[in-house]
Amino acid sequence: MKRLNPVLRYGARISFLTMLIVSLSGSSPYNKEIFTEAGSMPVYGNWKTFTSRDGLPADKAYCVRVDGDRVLVGTSAGLAVYENSEWRNYTVEDGLAHPGVLSIDISELTGDVWIGTLGGLNRWSAGRFETFTQFNSGLANDVIYSVICDGKDVWTATGGGAGHYDTYSGSWEIYTERNAPMHEPWTYGVCAGDDKIFIAAWGGGVIEYNTGTNNFRDYIDPDGEMELDVFPDDGLVHDITTAVTYADGILWVGTYFGLSRYNGTHWKGYFDHDSGLLSNFINFLKADGPVVWLCTDKGLSSFNGDTWVSYQRNENNYQGKVLITNGNETREIDASTSISHNFVLGVDFIGDDIWIATSKGVSRGERLN
Amino acid sequence: MPRTRYILISVILLLIPVLELHGQDEKQNYGKTPDELVPYGKFQKAYKNFFDEPQLFTGAGREKPEPTGLSEVRIGFLGPLEGSVMVPQGIQMLQGATLAVEEANERGGYKGIPFRILAHNDVGLWGAAANEVVKMDDEKVWAFLGTIDDINSHVALRVTLKLEIPMVNTGDPDPTLTETRIPWLIRCIADDRQSSYALVNYIYRVKRHSRVAVMRADNRYGRVGVMEFRDAALRIGYPLVLEVRFADGDTDFTTQIERMINSSPDAVLLWGNAKETALIIKQMRKMGMEQPIYGSDRLMSPDLLKIAGNDAEGLVTTCQYNPAADNSKLKAFQKNYYERFEMEPDVFAAHAYDGMNLIIESIQIAGLNRTLIRDVLTDLKTFQGYQGVTGEIIFDATWNDIGPVWMSRVRDGKFEFFPTPPMTTDSSAKR
Repeated sequence: MKRLNPVLRYGARISFLTMLIVSLSGSSPYNKEIFTEAGSMPVYGNWKTFTSRDGLPADKAYCVRVDGDRVLVGTSAGLAVYENSEWRNYTVEDGLAHPGVLSIDISELTGDVWIGTLGGLNRWSAGRFETFTQFNSGLANDVIYSVICDGKDVWTATGGGAGHYDTYSGSWEIYTERNAPMHEPWTYGVCAGDDKIFIAAWGGGVIEYNTGTNNFRDYIDPDGEMELDVFPDDGLVHDITTAVTYADGILWVGTYFGLSRYNGTHWKGYFDHDSGLLSNFINFLKADGPVVWLCTDKGLSSFNGDTWVSYQRNENNYQGKVLITNGNETREIDASTSISHNFVLGVDFIGDDIWIATSKGVSRGERLN
Repeated sequence: MPRTRYILISVILLLIPVLELHGQDEKQNYGKTPDELVPYGKFQKAYKNFFDEPQLFTGAGREKPEPTGLSEVRIGFLGPLEGSVMVPQGIQMLQGATLAVEEANERGGYKGIPFRILAHNDVGLWGAAANEVVKMDDEKVWAFLGTIDDINSHVALRVTLKLEIPMVNTGDPDPTLTETRIPWLIRCIADDRQSSYALVNYIYRVKRHSRVAVMRADNRYGRVGVMEFRDAALRIGYPLVLEVRFADGDTDFTTQIERMINSSPDAVLLWGNAKETALIIKQMRKMGMEQPIYGSDRLMSPDLLKIAGNDAEGLVTTCQYNPAADNSKLKAFQKNYYERFEMEPDVFAAHAYDGMNLIIESIQIAGLNRTLIRDVLTDLKTFQGYQGVTGEIIFDATWNDIGPVWMSRVRDGKFEFFPTPPMTTDSSAKR
């Protein structure tokens, strides 16, 4: 028996009524009423898509990172840099460790660009690519799923453990199940905040490392079962975590099973059947102040703890839709432009623009409210 | 106090319908789990069950055209080929896959283009499996088969999602491998969940033991496999009396056996590789332990019979298929395998042969496009009920093989195979 989703069912009715009213009145769907409904949530539109036809080295974009006035995109065939309305590409011939670029971060201290690839870690500094691999450094593995800069420290998440590189001393540390409270050494996401490092550990929940005390603690799904979640708000919704992000004292955890939010005291779980989350399959997430952005396999969702705003592309044309969910009510608005693909892998922000990386191209959206 | 209690009860009663309203409706038990073994099943309905429906892959890629001018159709292989205690099994797995490819090439390959296996060793540098899958992507394989060790399987699996390479696992029984929701993996070998359920039923319900001690390998194979057995035993009212570990390569198990003797078990379960467990069996008998011994699938090995000798008599293990089945396809495979490699195929060879045939058939149907190959492998129609040399393959919504598990018993120095007795819920079997 197919599971019925009361939220979406109700949302579809509301959507139909909205479209009916819009089509009868001839007014723009992006009206004041919609922005009012979105409340303090940002709403983006006027999407522009970039693919290999526009100069990207490949259509498949794993990640996107803003660096001042330029935008860096990691694709399956190299690094692309968008600056002054032009793309410039970098690949192995330029010094990239591997053409597959999975993660990018910028050092606030030095401006160095750190690039996690499928074949090692790059530091891009003063126009030169320096490569770190298992053979010439303390990297745990050459497949770098996530890299972040935290002051002088660089952290990586790999399938062989989490890595810490002190750029001042040049020393490396590896954290695995042998020296940290992980079930396994497999790590896939890392983020920093409030003097802590949070590591998404595949099968081991989230590992918190306090940089002041050097102590670890772990957060796991209390029920300990892979196939179910007994209670949604008792802890992580699942131990297989894919990404973490931290802002405004809130830890957000992405999994392929749903979303978890932790405010330091209470956990709250969100699923696609009980919230405005487009899909439980979360590839990546990023918090921007009070709003978290969720890159799922069915589109882009955003959420501030109260209101959901999601973006989806239509299957058969270039148009899309915006879904706004408050409580049990979802309002669906047609949009003349949309994100380039619903399989979203990365997100970042520059001024009033949002950039997203998808399975087929990169999209830039403009803030409308 | 009574008033407070009334208010509290009222609040709880008010909350219950809310949980019911938003919770997901259950269909059937995941993993063929009997009702009495469902986690928390006796106490609380889960808010969310994750594996009722398959996870779709919604990414791009289906539109990519088939390349032209290829001289070979490459298929990757990931397994323990050197530097591991599992090398003999890895070689059997590679040989089984090789036989399937050679037979396919005799039939004309893919539109006249031969298939070719590109083999990679999964044991090398730390986390080598991830790096090897990246190499396979660089080599432009269309899919790959592997591996046995569950750590390496997990590490490889995560990369497949990034690189979007179909992965067929034929040797790793770790239940959690297919519980990751990565929609690029299918597994066509029964997992330790199925083996554990079979053992729990046989040990506690059929043989009516009640005090079982477990001795397991101190690695992920032992830890995760026994976890399913331990949980299932506990749920029907039989906590383990003892769980002790040993390391791969150990030869003296006196300390662990003494602890088992002190726990007064009425049966012992061994979970590990054949060589160590064969030595354990010998030392148990030597130290006076006469209790019936049960074991995991890896004990079903010629090595065990050779090392344990007469002490292995009566040992009962699970086996992911019936090597003695009256199955013409199996008999032909066994004959051809022996002629080609001059050895009997083991469980890894047989399952690799089936798994590689699934890859080959999916390529024949989908063409040279990884996403379309994935779609065929995971559509739960094309290969549902596939009759392989290992028997019928039945996939659940996680693309895990939940086909029937077999059991073996050592009698007169040989393994005899028999079907797993039907699961019973007869609680009167408790003593």
